[in-house]
Amino acid sequence: MTATIVAIIALLVVPLAITVAMSFDAREYLGPFPPARLSVGWYQRFFSDDYLMHGLRTSLLLAVISATSATTLGIAAALAIKRLPKGARDAVTALFLAPLIVPGVVVGFALLLFYARAGIDNGFLRLLGGHVVITFPYAIRTILAALNGVPPSLIDAALSLGANHRRAVWTVTLPLIRTGIVAGAIFAFAFSLDDVAASLFLSDPHNYTLPVALVSMMHANFDLTIAAVAVLLMGVTAVLMLALDRLAGLDRIVGASVYRA
Amino acid sequence: MEGPILELRDVGKRFGPLTAVRDVSFSVEKGEIIALLGPSGCGKTTTLRMIAGFLQPDEGRIRIAGCDMARVPPYERNIGLVFQDYALFPHLSVEQNIAYGLRQRGVEQNKVSVRVREMIDLVRLRGYEAQRPTLLSGGQQQRVALARAIAIAPELMLLDEPLSALDAKLRQELRFELKRILLTARCTAIVVTHDQEEAMSLADRVIVMDGGRILQEGAPTAVYSRPASREVAELIGRANWFEGEVGNLVDGYREFLSPDGPLLISDRPDLAGHSCRLCVRPERLMILGETSANDRLNIIKGTVTTVAHLGSAIHYEIQLPSGRVVLVFEQNRDQPLPGVGTPVRLSFRPGDGVLIPEDAPVVR
Repeated sequence: MTATIVAIIALLVVPLAITVAMSFDAREYLGPFPPARLSVGWYQRFFSDDYLMHGLRTSLLLAVISATSATTLGIAAALAIKRLPKGARDAVTALFLAPLIVPGVVVGFALLLFYARAGIDNGFLRLLGGHVVITFPYAIRTILAALNGVPPSLIDAALSLGANHRRAVWTVTLPLIRTGIVAGAIFAFAFSLDDVAASLFLSDPHNYTLPVALVSMMHANFDLTIAAVAVLLMGVTAVLMLALDRLAGLDRIVGASVYRA
Repeated sequence: MEGPILELRDVGKRFGPLTAVRDVSFSVEKGEIIALLGPSGCGKTTTLRMIAGFLQPDEGRIRIAGCDMARVPPYERNIGLVFQDYALFPHLSVEQNIAYGLRQRGVEQNKVSVRVREMIDLVRLRGYEAQRPTLLSGGQQQRVALARAIAIAPELMLLDEPLSALDAKLRQELRFELKRILLTARCTAIVVTHDQEEAMSLADRVIVMDGGRILQEGAPTAVYSRPASREVAELIGRANWFEGEVGNLVDGYREFLSPDGPLLISDRPDLAGHSCRLCVRPERLMILGETSANDRLNIIKGTVTTVAHLGSAIHYEIQLPSGRVVLVFEQNRDQPLPGVGTPVRLSFRPGDGVLIPEDAPVVR
């Protein structure tokens, strides 16, 4: 038991620790571990690299827009799903969650074919479409979980008190699932920021995400800027997870319900 | 006098192959408190949800204040609902909960405040206005739910098992409180319940339902003392049953030939010669003292098999010579308790026996 846990932790943590340490390596070349001296040179290099900074801007913009869109769509879809009859509800939910099990490569390739057919050639829009598809299941999953925690009698109560369905949603449902909505948005943001597979297919020379830029850098000139960026991305993700935990409790988001009074 | 507030005529509802409610007809006059009493799954909640507008009846008509409700959504019916789980909005304060219905109706702010204050006083929740309902006790939540429903001055109140979520002692206290509030606010109300004490203590009229139909309807005492069928007798109160045949007239009483001897009951000439069940409520069976005279009617011998002392009352199980075990309830008056195994004599007055034919038709 203990050995298993130690092995897993080693597997998870050691590479990360090495990455963090190496990102502060003062050497100009990729030397053996551990670094002799430390500096923030690789970070400076990242922030002064136009190619990577362009990727970062695209990534952040994509993450914000796709998280917002995925969450908005997720709310609408989740509310609609709840009003479907039982059988249809499960089928539609499964369909909406499907991108979770479809590899990003497939999503990217399929979208690429679709865009070509549909004549969509704006690079940013191409990426955005892919990111919405990828992040939507995460958003809808947390929102549905939150929605399932709202007792149906609350909506009935609102209706009996004179609110129509739309008013009931605005005054009762949405305030009660706001935690789930924010959690869904954070998840969507994080997964948009992290995606490589689909973005790789959908990027072009002018519209590429930071992870895609890192991948092509690894092929072209492999240096420790990649480690520095990786550490920064880890930092952002850690902050997001912390925010999520503060907001709703990670255990509850990963678990069944995100309903909170 | 204007027409009834609520009128149901031949209302029926099916869920797939299942008939939840059929041929339900009744009406509610202004100011009346009605109890819909029945076991779970008897159709009472479905009936309630149809009246509230959450379900559409497949058959029949529902009228509120004379208007047909067929196409009227719940939010356009002026009905106050109190839910079994109270359904208070957890993100709103007590005050905001009570004000919700008024706000949805576009009532202006200062009138809302006045009405909310009125309601707070009615349900005696001064000092709790700013609290979140989740922090209140069950009884307090119940009162907020009542206040919220009454605030909109509904034509009709519907209460779904209003006391079932509370523990027994609180339930008894709140029964009186609930009645006081409903009477003070001059509510016309339907209380859906499976608890006969709740039904009898709150309602002016009880409608007993089972299997989606109305079995009997009438004043609580009438339904209790004159159940029309075995189901009703079992649903409302406890009952002892004797099977037998209705015989001749003896001294102005009708003879009932039971396995535990002939018993005399109030005359029912229409049932002479029929196989019947005789229902005697446990509290109507008396345990006779040793010294009491032997001139009583309906003396049945038996042996005490169980004694349960409940404080205010004592419940006995007494085995009769036929092997039948009957239930006897006595008030605790500090009388000597016959112990288990003691032979006793039981008696009941002829008027306390209710005859129900074996093939009792459903009475509506």
